[in-house]
Amino acid sequence: MTSRDRAWLLARRGSVVTAVALLGLVAVYVRALFFTPIERFQGPAQKIFYIHAPSAWVALLSFAVTGLLSVLYLWLKDRRLDLGAAASAEIGVAFSVVMLTTGPLWGKPIWGTWWTWDARLTSTLFIFLLFVGYLVLRGALSDPEVRARYSAVLGILAIPLVIFIHVTVYLFRTLHPDPVVLKPEAPSLPGEMLVTLLFSLAVFTLLYAGFLTQRYALAVLRELEDQEAADAVS
Amino acid sequence: MGEGARAVWAIAAKDLAIEWRTKTAFVSALAFAVLVLAVLYFARDPTAVASLDVAPGALWVTFSFAAMLGLNRAFLLEQENRALDGVLLSGVPRPAVFLGKMLANLVFVGAVELVSVPLFILFYDVPLWHRVPELLGVTAMATLSFVAVGTLLSAMAVRTRFAELMLPLLLLPFLVPPVVGAVQVTARILAQRPLSEVAGWLKLLAAFDIVFLFLAIFLFEATLEE
Amino acid sequence: MSAAGADFAPVGDRRPLIAAEGVWRFFGGRAVLRDVTLVAGAGEVVLLLGPNGAGKTTLLRVLAGLLRPSRGKVERRGRVGMVAHHSMLYDALTAEENLRFFARLRGVEPERAGELLARVGLEPRARQRVASFSRGMVQRLAIGCALLGDPEILLLDEPLSGLDEVSVGTLLELLRESRGRGRAVLVASHQFAELVEVVTSVAYLGGGRLLAWEPRGERGGAAIWDRYREVLSGG
Repeated sequence: MTSRDRAWLLARRGSVVTAVALLGLVAVYVRALFFTPIERFQGPAQKIFYIHAPSAWVALLSFAVTGLLSVLYLWLKDRRLDLGAAASAEIGVAFSVVMLTTGPLWGKPIWGTWWTWDARLTSTLFIFLLFVGYLVLRGALSDPEVRARYSAVLGILAIPLVIFIHVTVYLFRTLHPDPVVLKPEAPSLPGEMLVTLLFSLAVFTLLYAGFLTQRYALAVLRELEDQEAADAVS
Repeated sequence: MGEGARAVWAIAAKDLAIEWRTKTAFVSALAFAVLVLAVLYFARDPTAVASLDVAPGALWVTFSFAAMLGLNRAFLLEQENRALDGVLLSGVPRPAVFLGKMLANLVFVGAVELVSVPLFILFYDVPLWHRVPELLGVTAMATLSFVAVGTLLSAMAVRTRFAELMLPLLLLPFLVPPVVGAVQVTARILAQRPLSEVAGWLKLLAAFDIVFLFLAIFLFEATLEE
Repeated sequence: MSAAGADFAPVGDRRPLIAAEGVWRFFGGRAVLRDVTLVAGAGEVVLLLGPNGAGKTTLLRVLAGLLRPSRGKVERRGRVGMVAHHSMLYDALTAEENLRFFARLRGVEPERAGELLARVGLEPRARQRVASFSRGMVQRLAIGCALLGDPEILLLDEPLSGLDEVSVGTLLELLRESRGRGRAVLVASHQFAELVEVVTSVAYLGGGRLLAWEPRGERGGAAIWDRYREVLSGG
């Protein structure tokens, strides 16, 4: 089997996983809207939570995966690790956008404000910005080896940075009392809601796996094509 | 270590000699600092916000932006005729190369800061003269952190398209902890409060310095062609 | 001596100062060097010949340790002096300052800078900035810089570019001297007619491969040129 065939097979497997996850997503919507009780204090708006929290989880997961693959790349210098890190970062951007748009939609009716500079919100905003910087940096480098090394450096630096930003905002908030009465924390959920949340988390994780596999396979295919083009020239 | 230290010093001295000769970067960073200080003074509602309230933020926005102007210069110099290859060929340990570049950047940014502080005290009329040592202390801590990360990132940024745009985009997120911390400490100093009130922030600054200085030294090697 | 599996014994039968063994180098998945094995011992001057894109510059950079081989290994026994495409000098510094800076990095007495400047005929220009230098003067200074600390290994990439007749003479003299003092020299150049008398062996590169590598013997410039075309056409 050629490497091209292997990449195609991987892409096909990825699309199967994605298809299953998308069906699961439909089920999440149905269950969240019709089969999960409406939260007493927050009303129907709380149902955004079943999309918001899992997106945040996937954004965080992809961030961690990018960081981990970056460390491994600098250690092992295997190009596949770099392609995986980049694929994860792209998915991370998409889910960060979902997280950052559903968050305010939920926050406005509940806390009375679109945005608050709480530690969690701020660090997730910076995760998004770091993902963007990471992808812009990749776009500005043409040599694949240099691109891999440089983006790995950024991917590694970003992990402690986000922790530091979290602590910074935490310290900042403890000095200035929080103007918002309700903290944007997940309330302890009653059974049925918890089941919906856990189900949604599982579906989103599966979606991440499907996207990652496909995106990675695509990156491999594109590389093979570039290589063939380069070989044709020489 | 003797050999490494000599290389660090030689590289920093060479960078500073070149900067001293042209002075373009220093003069423009300084002019830029004065401009930002002046603009930020007026960027408020004078009936609602006292200049003293915006002073710490203004100072640190000025410092970090002025620093950013100078940081790319360090590696553009090496890029020109691939002089960095010559440095690497001479068998200098790679961390020494990084430390040399970083030391030159520290002196550069430090010099800009040193000239800006008196101007800041004059412009914002802050009662600060007798607490200058503490201010210098916190300035040193915060400056070390963003110069360490900035030197590393500029080593990469100069190799990209749109290098001038890339450095701020990459570096700004890394300015959040040191700048927020430094602003908090500066505000306490301006309010004539003891530093013990900001022990948490000082610890944060110190931790950031240590973590990112080590990471930068360690990761620098990956920014070199190999 | 066939330490690195070379299929002949090069002139100057000693331990190699520099050796590339089965070196591959990829750029973005494209092989620029393919399984190159080449050694140079004391007193040897290896001429690298090959068309543009044959991998000469990459090979020299790999040998210098500026690039890591993707596969295979490189061994050096001694310090490296190099003349590359780029001058590796600082335009804003004077000739003397450049030499003194690199001397300090190499742990060489900075006073050696003056001698080397005289050697490459730049003494009168010592206090002028490199930015004001002509191409040939920059090249001379780069050669002087490569000789700092009298390195055991010299890697020269098109060292003749921009040099006038007098400077070419100086370079030849320096190469002859290096050979006599047991240095290992690898030089890539298209203007090999001028160099040929100091060369001990010729390596022909094409498409990243070492196509042939043989002692120069009594071949002169014209004979090497014929052999070069023969090798390239697959002979």
